[in-house]
Amino acid sequence: MLALATMNGLVIGAIYALAALGVSLVVGIMNVINFAHGELYILAGYFSYILADTLGMHFVLAMVLAVALVFLFGIFVEYTLIRPTYGNDMYSLILTFILSIVLQNAYLLIFGPYPNKPPGWVGGATHVFGAFYYGNQRLAALVAGAVVIAFVFVLVKKTWFGRIIRATSQDREMAELNGVNTTRLNMLSFGLGCALAAAAGVILAPVFPVTPTAGVPVALTAFVVVVLGGMGSLWGCVVGGLILGLVENLGAAYISTGYKHVFNFIILILVLLVRPAGLFGRREA
Amino acid sequence: MRGKKMSIRVLVLVLGLAFAVGSAWAQETIKVGVVGPRTGTAAATGKAFEEGIKLATDYVNAKGGVLGKKLEIVFEDTAGAPDKAASGFERLVTRDKVVMVLGESHSSSALAEIEVAERFKVPFIVVEAWADPITAKNYKHVFRAGPSNSGVVNETIAKWVVHEKFKKAFIVAENTDWGLGIAELTKAALTKAGVQFDFLVTERQSQDHYTELSKIKAYDPDVVLAYVYGTGLHYFVAQAGEVKLMPKAVVLDGAGPPSLWPDYWKNVGDAGDLECFVSSMHEKVELTPLATEFREAYVKAFGGPPTDYKSRSIYDSILIAADAINRAGSTDSDKLVDALEKTNLLVTRGTVKFGTEKGGPGYHQWDPPMLVVQWQKRQQVVLYPPEAATGKLMR
Repeated sequence: MLALATMNGLVIGAIYALAALGVSLVVGIMNVINFAHGELYILAGYFSYILADTLGMHFVLAMVLAVALVFLFGIFVEYTLIRPTYGNDMYSLILTFILSIVLQNAYLLIFGPYPNKPPGWVGGATHVFGAFYYGNQRLAALVAGAVVIAFVFVLVKKTWFGRIIRATSQDREMAELNGVNTTRLNMLSFGLGCALAAAAGVILAPVFPVTPTAGVPVALTAFVVVVLGGMGSLWGCVVGGLILGLVENLGAAYISTGYKHVFNFIILILVLLVRPAGLFGRREA
Repeated sequence: MRGKKMSIRVLVLVLGLAFAVGSAWAQETIKVGVVGPRTGTAAATGKAFEEGIKLATDYVNAKGGVLGKKLEIVFEDTAGAPDKAASGFERLVTRDKVVMVLGESHSSSALAEIEVAERFKVPFIVVEAWADPITAKNYKHVFRAGPSNSGVVNETIAKWVVHEKFKKAFIVAENTDWGLGIAELTKAALTKAGVQFDFLVTERQSQDHYTELSKIKAYDPDVVLAYVYGTGLHYFVAQAGEVKLMPKAVVLDGAGPPSLWPDYWKNVGDAGDLECFVSSMHEKVELTPLATEFREAYVKAFGGPPTDYKSRSIYDSILIAADAINRAGSTDSDKLVDALEKTNLLVTRGTVKFGTEKGGPGYHQWDPPMLVVQWQKRQQVVLYPPEAATGKLMR
């Protein structure tokens, strides 16, 4: 039981981290909380389903195209909805909340209420250490999720674009004085945040089929991870996601399966009591 | 001459006015409300209800409507939330002036709605919310023309477990009024039948059931009684296949419709084969001529056979409501309750007669017959009751 709960905790934790990265990036750079994050995750799942299942495209191409389409949609949302609200965080919060409701209802109208699942990449299950069976699709999702997380770290920590992102998130005015076009950076960052939600969506849709409202718990968990790890911290997302995944599964294994998600909130409250800015968050000056 | 022209104009005007008023009178309808989730996690039920409503109103109005007027259904979305359900019910009564309300598929929502029904003295026929307290409260205006937890457990599930000679069962229930209620009744029934069992609760919103499934597997049961509704059931069955709980253990979907949803096979894959589920509908077993008529009308209207038995449940309840209104000869609440209590109507699932003895969940309750069906090579095979069986359990 311990081995399976730990392994499942790590897999689910990595999935949580991946879903939270996009939220963290947008909060860190733009100070915008995207309430429609979960619906963009679902949108990518639907795109992937249509392209791979209905149109018969290869699943890798379908996933890449789905992420690209959501990236473009994110840029469109930033340009039309978010940009006019800069300077007032509350407006962007309300607008993305409305967008989430509109998207949920649009999905219901277009795709119907039933769950949709793009084709899996691999079938069957692996007998891990001779102790338990674990779904191969989940293992593949873990690997794909780890690759995307590594890509984001390299992008942010090792590239010129990442240096601009970090500079702007630390001091926007100083970055502007040094010639950074922060308007364009906002647009690209928001698009990237949406693309990360989409990456999580296309990786997980073959494991957890998408429905019009399935994005709500995804977004809620992503927000918990971001707050737990510290607003805007990429390491915070990874550590926060893994902690949640492990606590949830070990709690379900040894205390009760009926309160799986309650354990998350207990951990969140305990951490915030000791570190109000989250595990890796910076204290406000 | 001029006076004659004026007279003609006045005559035309009067005739036109009379025609318009006459048309308006002819269009007057009797409104019946329906409550159910059209959005939220159980929006599939709303879709099934919409289909059943269309077929039932066409059927009733083609046979003369109610009290000589057309029957009109007003469908209020509850989103599966008790607060929205109660306010939606109240809107139907105060804004739309409905004479009766039908529907619902969430027990927690129905438990909120029955309080409103009783306060406004509006007859309410619950269709697919199974929790016993809905009728056990013995409210005068509350009826249920659909399965109750105690009926499904005591008449179908527990008897089937004994019939198949299962020795060890595992009960897994979602943390809702329906899930916890049906699990408690199952525990009592299995204890009485001498079947060994264990039990755990899972979260309704949970997508991942690996930990639950590893606990169940460690118990090594013959049968898993899964009281998990909606998409959660698809996750549960697919993951039960991944951890190799099946085919050694037989999994029973204790609700039914999710095992018949259009993308069931795509979502659960081969793990779906040999899964069992309870259902009041089977693709080849039709208990009454009206069931055949319903299927034919459904295929004609929607281009394929019904995929969720709740479309037929709401269809039946509309027929029951129309019959009661016609027999009452009035839309007066007391007369409607009286007529409903005297219902003796053949619908798609059998003959409806509501219990009138107070003191338990049988009051104002009609339990339709339920079947236990197994997927065998993607074909539905009825296992229970024996008189309706079309095959034997495969493992």
